[in-house]
Amino acid sequence: MLFLVYSVCFLALFYLHFSLAHRAWITIRGKRSSELDMSYVRLEDYFGQSFRRKLKQWLSTLPAASNSTANLRVYHHGQERIFVAPTVQYPSGRVEKELLVAEGAFSCGNNCDFRREVMVHGDCSIGEGTALQALAVDGALSLGEAVTIRRWVDAAGKLSIGADTAISSRATSRTAIEFLPGAYAQSLFAPEISTEGRNDDSPPLSTTIGPVLQIPHRPDDPQTAHHGFDPQKLFSMGGGTYAYEGDLDVTTPLHLRAPLVARGHFSCAKESLLEADLKAHRNITIGPASVVKGNLVCDGDMLLKPDVYFQSILQPEGTMRLSFGVRGLREKLPVAAHATGALTLESNIVINGKVSSAHRVIAISTPLAWLQPNSARA
Amino acid sequence: MAITALIIFSWTLIGIAMVVLSAYAVRHYYLAYSRMRIAHPRETNELVGFVMPRITVFIPMHNEERVARDVLQALVDCDYDWELLEVIPVNDRSTDGTRAIVDDFARRYPFIKPYHRAEGSGGKPAALVEATVNASGDIYLMFDADYVPGRAVLKMLTAPFLDPEIGAVMGRVVPHNIGDSLLSGLLSLERSAGYQSVQQARYNLGFTAQFGGTVGGVRAAALRAVGGWNPESLTEDTDLTFALLLNGWRTAYVNRAECYEEVPQDWGVRRRQLSRWVTGHTECLHNYWPDLVRARFLTRGEKWDAIFLLAMYLTAPIIVLGWLASLVLFFVPEAHAVPVLPIAMLIIGYQLFSNQATFLEIGVATLLDGTRLRALLMPLSLLNFFANTGAICNALRKFYWNRFWGSGGDGWYKTHRTRPGSDGQGFGLNQAPTGAARQSLNGLYHANNEGVGD
Repeated sequence: MLFLVYSVCFLALFYLHFSLAHRAWITIRGKRSSELDMSYVRLEDYFGQSFRRKLKQWLSTLPAASNSTANLRVYHHGQERIFVAPTVQYPSGRVEKELLVAEGAFSCGNNCDFRREVMVHGDCSIGEGTALQALAVDGALSLGEAVTIRRWVDAAGKLSIGADTAISSRATSRTAIEFLPGAYAQSLFAPEISTEGRNDDSPPLSTTIGPVLQIPHRPDDPQTAHHGFDPQKLFSMGGGTYAYEGDLDVTTPLHLRAPLVARGHFSCAKESLLEADLKAHRNITIGPASVVKGNLVCDGDMLLKPDVYFQSILQPEGTMRLSFGVRGLREKLPVAAHATGALTLESNIVINGKVSSAHRVIAISTPLAWLQPNSARA
Repeated sequence: MAITALIIFSWTLIGIAMVVLSAYAVRHYYLAYSRMRIAHPRETNELVGFVMPRITVFIPMHNEERVARDVLQALVDCDYDWELLEVIPVNDRSTDGTRAIVDDFARRYPFIKPYHRAEGSGGKPAALVEATVNASGDIYLMFDADYVPGRAVLKMLTAPFLDPEIGAVMGRVVPHNIGDSLLSGLLSLERSAGYQSVQQARYNLGFTAQFGGTVGGVRAAALRAVGGWNPESLTEDTDLTFALLLNGWRTAYVNRAECYEEVPQDWGVRRRQLSRWVTGHTECLHNYWPDLVRARFLTRGEKWDAIFLLAMYLTAPIIVLGWLASLVLFFVPEAHAVPVLPIAMLIIGYQLFSNQATFLEIGVATLLDGTRLRALLMPLSLLNFFANTGAICNALRKFYWNRFWGSGGDGWYKTHRTRPGSDGQGFGLNQAPTGAARQSLNGLYHANNEGVGD
């Protein structure tokens, strides 16, 4: 009898170990996983488009409240209210807690606070020091200085982001983005992104013709180290790709003709031509006025010196700095620059595509020294 | 004298088992910890859609009439530019209606170019060797016939190739049939830990991810550089991973490129699948370990990681030998002369330390995936553990037996499909409607109002 009791107790204790698992299995049994969104596609302006779509659906299905007037229609969606007005003008210092829709233009004075999303079908102007939750605009959008966007901002027209403005998430435009010093965001995407002091005059072409180093080198090139390049450290990985053991600091213009993996730092002199993809296990520094046609990837920091022109994708695991006069443009596809660390944009930068960072993208004024004639190419 | 030798031998076995398994436990802890710690995992999600090389998608098929429509329709619905896309369904000597289905799709979509194979040796690697000759892409992607890729998966898988050091890429497989049997539920935990925790952690730490042969791809130039697919290997994917690694190429892992799969529902199918993996893996270990040790491209940490990965199935017989040695010591009175308490404490401590390691990985994965209910199944993983240990030991016994006598091993075994198929409607999930409008321009701006996620 005692044995039986012990056995039952033992079995009960044993089952207890698995009881939660057993119950979980009863719940799961017969079910199929549905955690994946099979229809997901990545869209850079997803937030703005999704908001517009939801709003359109609500406004087309909800009845206007009885207290609506000709100039202000009110809709109730659950606990929240939606205010719809033909045009909206807010004086300085106003706090608005409702979701707003302006069917025409929208403007507000300084230091307002919009706690919910705002949709504007016309042009939009936001005063200094104003805080917004999120903003979708069908026209042009001008954000004044020191505006705070708690989430995202999307404009169909030109988006001007004032100095010291902070955008916690994405800023997108279907036309162009102007990004002034001190402003920051997590990512910017537009057919054209520019920073202050834009100057589209082409930089003067160099008239000096010096030695050019080619990688992979030609058989008749010197087989000893020259211009920071040691041919003995270069070897083929197969498939037309090369690896370079150690740091590669080329002191003369470089012509990169094949994909290269530099297993250390990489830097090249001014007016280099990088026609193929480049990866460095540490930092990458591209000399002034170089042309980058291949993708650049590195495990460290990346610096593009003044007047570099890139037609590709830049991706450092560390920080990235795009210097004065950098241009990013290519046919068919937009270019992209994404850094895991901070991404700093100096003055007079134009990029057709995307700049983003897991940390933040920040615009700064280029130090005056860079603006002196020819000093950038020194 | 013999008893003393037996005791010493048993203690030695236990010592070896404890050292080896503790080393693996430390690795498990390290990977799980690092997966949780890193705020920004290494990824290319922000660059999806900006890297658009010409790609070829291979779908090896052998008697896949039940599922062929689903995978082909899913690829048609993908948001990749059709001008840059080529799909090659590799119809490998099918005797059912696979050929007709494939040809029907080829008539309707010019980028689908079937390769019908009527003879030659069987198995996926052999079929891929032949089909690759006809491919025109710079990147080759692969999907098994029973997989249904989501609309963005092609772009996600091509993004890492912007890095010239990336030779291959691996996405994530997610079991769909989690509730079909207890085994499939437990395998979903195993897959979750394997991908969400281990693959991502290893990739974050700079180690090469493991190419799995499906929901993945390889750079055409890199494949040619290492001599193409190895038709002799039972795990051509693992073989390729290490062939690439030895030539300086890395394999990237894209956790967000998820694709549903059907995991085995019964232990017989699972045992055969595991047997193939064990044989292929161990074969790779024997083929590659000397080169891995000498490899100039690899750091010491990468070499250790690679050896640990390839030798992982050897832990099963080591565990069993440890158990047998423990039994010997338990039943031999002379062995009890040693101070029992400290040794018992040591073994209990080791058990607590080592046994929790893999559970931690599963726990981390379920936490990150937000599948808490499934995490409760963890104690039942013991069943899976015992079944796996037996199957692995048996597979290794056969492998070494065949190797010793020079006889041929097991051939390619096609994993049994259980999914009924849905005539091109995916799994009946939230797949985009057939013929969904593809994205315009660069695929980066919103082009239609169909379901989008973030």
